[in-house]
Amino acid sequence: MSLIETTDLYKTYAIGDVQVHALQGVSISIERGEFVAVMGPSGSGKSTFMNILGCLDKPTSGKYILDGIDVTSTELSKLAGVRNRKIGFVFQGFNLISRTTALENVELPMVYNHTSAKERKEKAMEALKAVGLEQRAYHMPNQLSGGQQQRVAIARSLVCDAPIIFADEPTGNLDTKMSIEVMDLFTRLNKEMGKTIILITHEPDIAEYAGRLITFRDGKKISDEVKK
Amino acid sequence: MIDTFLSILRISLKAIMANKMRAALTSLGIVIGVAAVITMLAVGSGTQQSMNDRFSRFGTNTLYLRQPWDLDESISSPKDITMDDVRAVRKVNGVVAAAPYISSSFKVKYGITSTSIDVLATDTDIFNIYDWQLENGRTFTERDVETYAQVAVLGATVAETIFNDVDPLGKTVIFNEIPFTVIGVMKKSGQGGFGFDMDEGTLIPYTTGKVKMDTGWNNSDRRALDRVIIRVEDINDIENTKEAISNAVRNTHKIHPLGKDDFQLDDMASWIEEAKAASKTMSILLGVIGAVSLLVGGIGVMNIMLVSVTERTREIGIRMAIGATSADIRLQFLAEAVTLSCIGGLIGVLIGVGISLFIEAHSTNIPAHLSIISIFISFGFSAATGIFFGFYPAYKASKLTPIDALRYE
Repeated sequence: MSLIETTDLYKTYAIGDVQVHALQGVSISIERGEFVAVMGPSGSGKSTFMNILGCLDKPTSGKYILDGIDVTSTELSKLAGVRNRKIGFVFQGFNLISRTTALENVELPMVYNHTSAKERKEKAMEALKAVGLEQRAYHMPNQLSGGQQQRVAIARSLVCDAPIIFADEPTGNLDTKMSIEVMDLFTRLNKEMGKTIILITHEPDIAEYAGRLITFRDGKKISDEVKK
Repeated sequence: MIDTFLSILRISLKAIMANKMRAALTSLGIVIGVAAVITMLAVGSGTQQSMNDRFSRFGTNTLYLRQPWDLDESISSPKDITMDDVRAVRKVNGVVAAAPYISSSFKVKYGITSTSIDVLATDTDIFNIYDWQLENGRTFTERDVETYAQVAVLGATVAETIFNDVDPLGKTVIFNEIPFTVIGVMKKSGQGGFGFDMDEGTLIPYTTGKVKMDTGWNNSDRRALDRVIIRVEDINDIENTKEAISNAVRNTHKIHPLGKDDFQLDDMASWIEEAKAASKTMSILLGVIGAVSLLVGGIGVMNIMLVSVTERTREIGIRMAIGATSADIRLQFLAEAVTLSCIGGLIGVLIGVGISLFIEAHSTNIPAHLSIISIFISFGFSAATGIFFGFYPAYKASKLTPIDALRYE
């Protein structure tokens, strides 16, 4: 069974009197261990699609099975646990909690799944080591460079052993050198740890790192190609 | 589970520490409320205690017989309270003692010392009513009363003031130009308050008072007394005893069975009831003031918590994305509100205790009595205020959807 399986997803918003059809029948399946890039112009529905895949939002209709869990029939309030165990998020703006050390930021997902304080610290240190930031464990986010902050966020996405990492424009706020560092890290996580990585980007050279490229336009998937 | 709870608590503390000034100003309302409640409870219970003290010293089993201050106009010829009444009352079942009571302020001289004191003209039964102890010498006897003896028993403070180091026994003092021999000095009783203050006064036989003193009193036995002080045997039977006394006095005054009383009989029990009702009213008033100040403080907490939730919407989104449930978010903000108001409560307790102790130690006219229970109650109220007023903001935070919260700029 595929790790991610969507069938005929529709999402419709009402903005004032206008109905916005953000997704119009998207069916995709992603296997364990894939590295997928999702591209498309703004308004193409790729962000809506990612929010639904990330269990942050629910489709208007259609079916979404994540690692055997029928997300569409699960209440939004119960999805917190699914996000915690199955998904790691990496955002464009890093989204670390300010005035909180790198270590504590990485520990945070484990706070919410009731891991003991001791185990939390050990695992968080391990994750920081995996992204090469164990020396910066007690720095606050504002004492770290953008690339370092993004690596802390990646460590946070690893710490619960979630099989999937969703990265929404992870290099959008980084310069070229840092972007390469971060993308190399993603590649390593995909190759060495077998993480399934789903990446949204509008930069073709970033999409190059992925093994599969899905393109969206007007709420529909217009291409889906696996590179050799 | 415990680790999670502690971590969430630490998150809340960190949020408070990040905005120290704001936290201080927010808890100020609670500080003032709690300090006010503690101080007011202390003053309230102190007032009640000192009232009880006065009543118990005065004795709840005493009655006053006197002419009403506002005499009913329909009574054409009211009779004075006289020794006839005293004698009649003494015969009533359940009466232990009854003493005539005429008091007046006199100028007293000894040598070159001159001062003004309260003189109580009475008879020997007064010593069966009040628990006054003799320090030196003797009290006056029935014979002193019968023979119009010019003798005086001085209160402790009076003896000190007039005689200083000299032994007053056997000395002659002049009341309004009339010489009296000091036959006794009373022990300091330290009562004061209601009734006659023995420490500051002097006792003389009522007969002597009537004959010798230039106060409009004369030697007729039937002239008016200020009042009669009566001590009853059993406080529980006071209503029956009162009725019996009343009948006896009506008899002496020859009042027609259908006629109205031309006298009044007051008992301390009814005064106590009145005083208790008054102090209860005061307690309610204080409670309302405390509640209002805590309400205002609570609204302050709620206000700042709503600001805090709005400011940290994005943070809430991040937490939800990485697995925080609605309950986790609610707990975080509720803990923040409760911590804020408990800090306020704690400081308020310290200030309130300080003020109460200060009043207790330094103020003579405002009594204060600090009770541990009042501290717990007011601290408990501050915590409850935090829960009550923190709940809505916390609920609001927990109802955000992760996607809206993350998008919030």
